[in-house]
Amino acid sequence: MVEQESPLKPVWKPGTRGNFSDGVGVYLSETAPGSIVQLAAWHGEEKAIIAAIKKVAGLTLPDGAGGGAATGTKAAFGFAPGKFLVVDEQEGLVAAFAKSVKTETGTVTDLSHGRTAIRITGPKAEWVLAKFFAIDFSLTAFPVGAGRSTVHHDIFAQIQRSAPTQFDVYVFRSFARSFWTALCHASEEVGYEVK
Amino acid sequence: MSPRRAISGGRIDRLRTIRFTFDGRPFTGHAGDTLASALLANGVTLFARSFKYHRPRGVLTAGIDEPNALVTVLSGAVREPNIPATMLEIYDGLNVASQNRFPSLAYDVGALNQLGSKVLGAGFYYKTFMGPVIGPLKGTRFWMFCEWFIRRAAGLGSAGLEKDPSRYERMNAFCDVLVVGSGPAGLIAAKAASDSGARVMLAELDATPGGSANWSGETIDGLPAAEWAAETLRDLKARENVRVLPRTTVWGYYDGNTLSAVERVADHRNTPAKGEPRHRHWTIRTQSVVLATGAFERPLVFPGNDRPGVMLAGAALRYVNQYGVLPGQKIAIFTNNDSAYHTAEALKKAGAEIVAMVDVRDDTSVAGREIAREVGGEYLAGHAVVATEGGAQVSGIKVQRINAATGALSGDPRSIHADCLLVSGGWSPTIHLASQAGLKPEWDNDLQAFLPPKPTQNWVGAGAFNGSFSTEKAISEGHAAGLTAAGATDGKADELPSVDADAFDPNPAPVFEIKAKGKAFVDLQHDVTADDVRLAHREGFVSVEHLKRYTTLGMATDQGKTSNIPGLAIMAETLGKPIPDVGTTRFRAPFAPVSVGSLAGERYGDIRPERLTPMYDWHVENGAEFYAAGLWHRPMIYGLSGESVEQAYVRETKAVRGGVGLVDVSTLGKIAVQGPDAGAFLDRVYTNMFSTLAIGKARYGLMLREDGFVLDDGTTWRLGEHDFLMTTTTANAGKVMQHLEYLLDVVWPELKVQLTSVTDQWAGAAISGPKSRDVLAACVTGTKVDNDALPFMGIVYGEIDGAPVMICRLSFSGELAYEVYSGAGHGTHVWQALIKAGEPFAIVPYGLEALGTMRIEKGHVTGAEIDGRTTARDLHLDWMLSKKKPFIGSAMMDREGLVAEDRLQLVGIVSLDNRPLNGGAHIVEELDEANPHGSLGHLTAACYSPSLGKYIGLALVKGGKARQGTRAFISDPLRKRFGPVEIVSHHFFDPEGSRMHG
Repeated sequence: MVEQESPLKPVWKPGTRGNFSDGVGVYLSETAPGSIVQLAAWHGEEKAIIAAIKKVAGLTLPDGAGGGAATGTKAAFGFAPGKFLVVDEQEGLVAAFAKSVKTETGTVTDLSHGRTAIRITGPKAEWVLAKFFAIDFSLTAFPVGAGRSTVHHDIFAQIQRSAPTQFDVYVFRSFARSFWTALCHASEEVGYEVK
Repeated sequence: MSPRRAISGGRIDRLRTIRFTFDGRPFTGHAGDTLASALLANGVTLFARSFKYHRPRGVLTAGIDEPNALVTVLSGAVREPNIPATMLEIYDGLNVASQNRFPSLAYDVGALNQLGSKVLGAGFYYKTFMGPVIGPLKGTRFWMFCEWFIRRAAGLGSAGLEKDPSRYERMNAFCDVLVVGSGPAGLIAAKAASDSGARVMLAELDATPGGSANWSGETIDGLPAAEWAAETLRDLKARENVRVLPRTTVWGYYDGNTLSAVERVADHRNTPAKGEPRHRHWTIRTQSVVLATGAFERPLVFPGNDRPGVMLAGAALRYVNQYGVLPGQKIAIFTNNDSAYHTAEALKKAGAEIVAMVDVRDDTSVAGREIAREVGGEYLAGHAVVATEGGAQVSGIKVQRINAATGALSGDPRSIHADCLLVSGGWSPTIHLASQAGLKPEWDNDLQAFLPPKPTQNWVGAGAFNGSFSTEKAISEGHAAGLTAAGATDGKADELPSVDADAFDPNPAPVFEIKAKGKAFVDLQHDVTADDVRLAHREGFVSVEHLKRYTTLGMATDQGKTSNIPGLAIMAETLGKPIPDVGTTRFRAPFAPVSVGSLAGERYGDIRPERLTPMYDWHVENGAEFYAAGLWHRPMIYGLSGESVEQAYVRETKAVRGGVGLVDVSTLGKIAVQGPDAGAFLDRVYTNMFSTLAIGKARYGLMLREDGFVLDDGTTWRLGEHDFLMTTTTANAGKVMQHLEYLLDVVWPELKVQLTSVTDQWAGAAISGPKSRDVLAACVTGTKVDNDALPFMGIVYGEIDGAPVMICRLSFSGELAYEVYSGAGHGTHVWQALIKAGEPFAIVPYGLEALGTMRIEKGHVTGAEIDGRTTARDLHLDWMLSKKKPFIGSAMMDREGLVAEDRLQLVGIVSLDNRPLNGGAHIVEELDEANPHGSLGHLTAACYSPSLGKYIGLALVKGGKARQGTRAFISDPLRKRFGPVEIVSHHFFDPEGSRMHG
């Protein structure tokens, strides 16, 4: 199978940069999942989709807007009413959902190539992300597992808090390089490591 | 020892010496000094020249309200003008220049303006630049010539022309309670809100939070107030739920309790830390706000009140207590209220001589009289200062008896020797933010000031902001405000810190102006005098709003912080009305100047993000030159060495028509249209039928707007029973998506259709030319690509070099052509495999220019023709308008005006003089270069056609269909291109389409 090429290739520079007077503020990485799948439920079928996510990906999502769950290899979150993003380290998730989600329940859309997953983790992750997005990143307002849809300039982004100081940002692939470059720039202030 | 530095006292670090320059002269100060305090400590009193008259000016205040002492900070080739010296923290290497003077601050040519001051009054510009209406200069531009010189003579500092290399940033913040101002009221409010569990932000515009506690000299909780403030601040900073922002000016209060602030992150350092912005702009969304913004002291208006050495009494208190600086040695004080007595005490204690206490009131308080006796000097109750003496520095004052009730002066003036005059005209609460989020301010007759208005947003005030001037009151109000803002009720008011302070009566005598002979300034920054206000009144400007605009009172960088109320009072008196009846102008944002850089934030130098196709790096490596197409970067040509753009696209076009070429079409908008009603939905939004399309087939579709004009075109592919892939033009992808989402959300919510942008999911490579099938046959596995397996508009699935691909046979070039779609992450891999497989067939990559040339030859339309004003009929696409079903636009497309024969219609244009044509050129029947007129329409696209050997174009021409075969001219006066053309059919090349169907 042909490997996916990262859109960040020419700007991907592992190592540490910026101001380290207080240590490394954030770690930046690309998670490069094998599968990114969007599920959309018809009105009234939301619970059936949540059940499908549990069945196929083994993730239990809370009922409610923006709820989600994340493990080391898989993640899922609601990003709009009745709409979910499900991510797996492995390929093949879309085929599994295509079997599991019936036409009368909702739709399955493969975005494995269309979105780039950028992970920002570390004590200053909230601070750096607040430079980009008008979203309350505090743990109380944005609990672990939850997802949000937002925008930075012209770049649409879906964000999941996958751990207390860790966020996964999903951006359109064509914007990924621009966003990554801006993210590195914004992280210089707190010191960052690309890994 | 600096001449004016007190031997002890102040919150500066006397062990740390800071070196800086002012107008090229080296000075020293201490850590904790502002430029104003450091220069004053060095005995400097002349800071600037005034706006209009170039009068010498000193420093009036100690804060953001400073009207006079504005300076330009020089940093390399970058200059930042109009920074108040009172707000500028000194650092080693700071380089500052004074403003509005030539050749120097001490000897300024512009000071001659004072000689013409009689004609430079209010409305000078309005009157002058109308120009003479009689006399020899009538009707000439002589006045415009003069304007340049006059405008040069007036002004503040000038900005530099160099690019600002500083870094600016924007930040978003959310909290429960935002406290603005960190004086005792703000500190206690923040603490109370934090105690009750709220997330708190505390913004302070000065470097050292604490507000008046830093200079009041009072005792709080048994500690000197400044130490209590520092202690409280330490406590707050250590809390998880509190964020303290010093050097942060909250400048705007917007709907939804959204406030704007700018933080001067690195202005106090020679070089910002790595990655640190110079300014950070905060957008703060909060549940509620505590406004503890304090009050501004007002000057009194009297002749000579602008002479260096005249300073606000409260500012002097701050200089002596916070910075250990004496504003003078022999100090006179002139007041209409009790607060200045406190200053006298502090100055005396620090070693200054108080030569006179001048109070307009006869009936001063007992406490006041006691202080006056203690500080020594003359005590002149019922007196006023009627003039200052000296040159560029106060050397004395003149005093005269005054009746505070009537303002009448009596007796003869007499002189008192002094090198400094401190003035207090009462205090005005800083209600600017409240004014942005409230009703009209309310006049308080006792305080002779406007109090905060009734809120229209969720804020609560505390302390001097409310007109409560004692620290004890500030603390109790701050506590209550903090609890209210946090939504708590059970605060422990009995545990509030105790305050040991002199009580004083803040109510001033209602005296704003001393009417004596000489220039008495109301607005020091804009050089507006009391006489200017009266002149404006005489000339009919009786509304306070007109007064402001005519005299410019209260404009400029300080926005009248020291001048609004005195100006209003003088206007009220002139009108014979009480002040509240005259009204006040509403304070608008920003509260203080905001750097443009901080508003621009990270968009500085980077206006828009770049949008790149998966094959972008390959294009760069292979010599592509790019176009910006919206946010996308698309290859224009792949030029060879020495080739012009035209040579390159002609070569690329010939290669495609004669062999095979490859173009990146990944930018086409792609929308997944899924769901059981997808086919029905497409039937409604396209003019032609899609529900009947077979799975594995594509169809060209046309969309209209509701008003019947063309919206977009593109192909839509049926990938499954309930699964369509719609493509749109690159430029219209977002617009079409919005249009479709609107229809589903609002018009047909019952349809089970899901739309997803999958533009980025797919890389698209279009392979075109008579040999394109051969190239595919050489590299595609898992499917055949012959005419039976893959007919025109058919779709097959296979692999190229191991990567899954979806291939659709469709053509934009008019050649046999295919669009090869792969996952975006495989885009370059597939592209390179196609290039490799095409090598034996001499494949070339081609760019937008060649693509455009081939589409012009074929007469295909793009955004240049689908310009929002054309109908399907105008573009010869009426064959696509289904008569079997209604669709968006069908009800409106047959309106009279939309079917008229003389509409602009698509035609082809051939240049008859063998010279290039330009898009945008007009088509005319008769050529008249001197007086171009009679446009029949315009060229939308033009190129050299290698297939025809001619310069050709597409055009929208009035009644174009009937004009085919006739001659006309192009008229392009801007580019001076005129010449004969022939109007022909837009199908220049292979009108039967035999090549692409072959």
